[in-house]
Amino acid sequence: MAGPKSIAGTAPAAPPPLGAHTAHAPTEHQLLDQARQRASLAGEITSQLAGSLNLRRTILRLFALITPELADWAMLAMVDHRTGRVALHGGHDHTFATTVDRDRTEDLGVGRVLRSGQSELLHVALAPEGQTPTADGLDSMIPHDALRAEATALRPADVLGLALTARGTTVGMLVLVRGAGRGFPEDDVALAEQIAGRAAMALDSARLYEDRNRVASVLQASLRPPALPRVPGLRLAARFRAAAEHLDIGGDFYDVHGSERDWLLAIGDVCGKGVEAAVLTGRARQSIRTAAHFDRSPRGVLAALNAVLYEEESDKFVTAVCARVRPAPDSRTAEVDLAAAGHPAPLVLRADGTVEQVDVAGTVAGVLPEVGYQETTIALGPGDTMLMFTDGIYEARGPEGFYGLDRVIGLLPAYAGAGPEAVCEALEQDVVEHLGGRAHDDMALFAVACGR
Amino acid sequence: MTVLDPVLDALARYDGALASVDADRAVDLVEGLLDDGVDPVTVLVDVIASAQRTVGDRWQRGEWTVAEEHAATAVSVSATEAVARHVRRTPATRGRVVVACAEREWHALPAMIVGTALRANGWDITLLGASTPPVRLSQYLHDLGPDATAVSCSVLGALPTTRRFIEASTAAGIPVVVGGSAFGPDDHRAKALGATAWASGAREAVAAVRSLPTVVPAADPVNGSAAAEQAAMELAHHRLVTSLRERWSLAAQIVTTERLPLDSVHSVAADVVNQALHAVWAALLTDDPRALSHTAAWVADLLAARAVEPTLVGELGRLLARDLRDYPLARALVEHHWTATTGSR
Ligand code: B12
Repeated sequence: MAGPKSIAGTAPAAPPPLGAHTAHAPTEHQLLDQARQRASLAGEITSQLAGSLNLRRTILRLFALITPELADWAMLAMVDHRTGRVALHGGHDHTFATTVDRDRTEDLGVGRVLRSGQSELLHVALAPEGQTPTADGLDSMIPHDALRAEATALRPADVLGLALTARGTTVGMLVLVRGAGRGFPEDDVALAEQIAGRAAMALDSARLYEDRNRVASVLQASLRPPALPRVPGLRLAARFRAAAEHLDIGGDFYDVHGSERDWLLAIGDVCGKGVEAAVLTGRARQSIRTAAHFDRSPRGVLAALNAVLYEEESDKFVTAVCARVRPAPDSRTAEVDLAAAGHPAPLVLRADGTVEQVDVAGTVAGVLPEVGYQETTIALGPGDTMLMFTDGIYEARGPEGFYGLDRVIGLLPAYAGAGPEAVCEALEQDVVEHLGGRAHDDMALFAVACGR
Repeated sequence: MTVLDPVLDALARYDGALASVDADRAVDLVEGLLDDGVDPVTVLVDVIASAQRTVGDRWQRGEWTVAEEHAATAVSVSATEAVARHVRRTPATRGRVVVACAEREWHALPAMIVGTALRANGWDITLLGASTPPVRLSQYLHDLGPDATAVSCSVLGALPTTRRFIEASTAAGIPVVVGGSAFGPDDHRAKALGATAWASGAREAVAAVRSLPTVVPAADPVNGSAAAEQAAMELAHHRLVTSLRERWSLAAQIVTTERLPLDSVHSVAADVVNQALHAVWAALLTDDPRALSHTAAWVADLLAARAVEPTLVGELGRLLARDLRDYPLARALVEHHWTATTGSR
């Protein structure tokens, strides 16, 4: 086998760095070249920084774009309004990140720039080589020992602290250092200011996105379909595809609760789509969980779900199937009690390839004050798989029409004995391919069989 | 050699577990190896992935149906999950990698194996599963800001959507490493699609991820006119498939015996027609005519194993060239590279 290969292209030979001290005055050609270099750098920064909304990735890209063209060394300080600390990023290792107390920065150049929004170009007074390294300007701009040592080692003449101001707020400061023999001529300070303005906007957008994302991802985590537990005596598999393809949440749900050899499996579908539906899904799942804690009978769980939803959500309803699965001690067979609330009845694929639809039906949950649900009991033998699903599966509509329940039933026999994972995988693939790229409703599959 | 023996022996026993669809046995075996101190990546590559290739050979030879392929792979999914549980016992110490398959790619296990190998080497991984739309990948990339994206592509038909993944990732500055059988034996296709790196296997993937740059520029656009033809063919796919299936003699040849039931040749015919068109897409998009010659050889093997007339391979090529009259680049590729020699395997 061939080894790993990096196939990133190599950059063409770079022109002399901006700001390099030269023995002779620059030629006209060189000046033109530099002007071009400045313009292209500013343009590139704008377009490339728009590519990510992730704060960390935006910071990494900013460093990649400005070093070494604009500076030999760069550091970013960003105010974290949540914690009141200042986050420091960069230095030689672009992925380096740490935080310092904001108080420690107040009396320094960092604090000044962050408060005033005015960029500063400081002269660096270096201690002569051989003595304890100190550097006035750097002390003021870099409030971190290791980072400051890196910058000092470059023996710079100036340090540039650029205010990053976007949408009226100074969100951070970019510190640029050029090593010995490379200063900050006026043109480059202007370029750096221009770049700082663009970077500030991108960083601020990413910061806003991250703030929102922090809230959203915590909420979303509780609404996502759960990772299936390992259940002794049972094999479980599930699939979920949200109508809103980029979200992993929606109006379909499945869940597992229980212990030892007594488990409640639930699948359901709330009215609506997207985030609103997902919130209702969360509530339905919670009601089922709580009800199952006290009484694992599907009939009781659905009655409780119905009562809760009826009281809380006058105009919302939920369909669901609950299955209480009790595997035998030898894990070869299981007894399954089922109840349904307006939800398609599960299919059972027997080990010999016959497919049966369980005879179970009942009223949707949440529309009538009191509903009594009927229970049906089936036996799962060795090699049998029970498949629960939502209507998004058979109502999937592709160029050739609806997928249909018949096609689900027709696909299954070939998977006799193959187990829940294979059944879910094959059906999901067949349905999604049937869609041929068209939009779809939320779709969920949940399958169970006996097994260790 | 003595070091390898337990692994070879395990492979034989693992193969037996796949053939009898016995997930418990496969999991026990894998857990036993790990408990004996066998390297997790060795278990993934030299036992699980290796046995999976035998599964493919059985399908190709017409010994197994697609359903049997699914069933055996589900066993390997369980075995890979057992390895994943084992490697998760040590904390992740490197960065994060998002591992994904683009739309139309249903081979999720290779991605899972590569992801687990990365996890075994300290990377935190987020697995997005089979056939993922680019908008979902993008969402994850912006939310997580990973250090790299790893894209697995097994079928030629998923190379165009894999290109979208490469765009999504590089536009965000995130390096993207690719691999899987659709890329062929070297980095040519990966390079053409703008990937940052390519690797031939799970071990090599670990090394490749380690040496990726932190930030990459947005991938360059792909070859304009060829990409435009590919996109047009994709839009016309349904029509092209229907026409080929109506006219190719295999559809008319109803070969049915006890050993070769009607449905296997039928579904294979559908797969072949699809694959042939997908090979044209791949050749156009990646400027790699080998996609066509390899596929022609693959079709020849597939049909030979099912006792179908070998001349049908050439016939399919001729029909393909005719149906592609509106796509001059594609047509020329087929005319020159659909060489219907029987496979070399
Ligand atoms: C299992 C399987 C399936 C299962 C997949 C289920 C699942 N959950 O994964 C199912 C039944 C769905 C399936 C379907 C099809 N399959 Co199939 N399948 C296979 C099989 C047997 C095994 C795949 C596997 O798990 N391999 C194990 C992995 C780990 O090995 P690997 O893919 O070589 O991966 C290694 C490297 O490539 C690399 N790598 C892989 N991914 C990545 C990613 C990164 C980032 C990196 C760096 C490296 C890397 O590292 C891996 C480990 O070392 C292969 C046979 C084979 N030879 O692989 C056929 C195979 C891939 N399938 C094939 C075909 C034709 C199909 C179908 C068209 C028809 C069919 N047989 O049903 C459909 C198409 C579905 C679709 N559109 O995606 C062909 C592809 C031919 C081609 N050249 O394009 C193969 C090669 C079989 C054959 N010999 O003909 N298949």
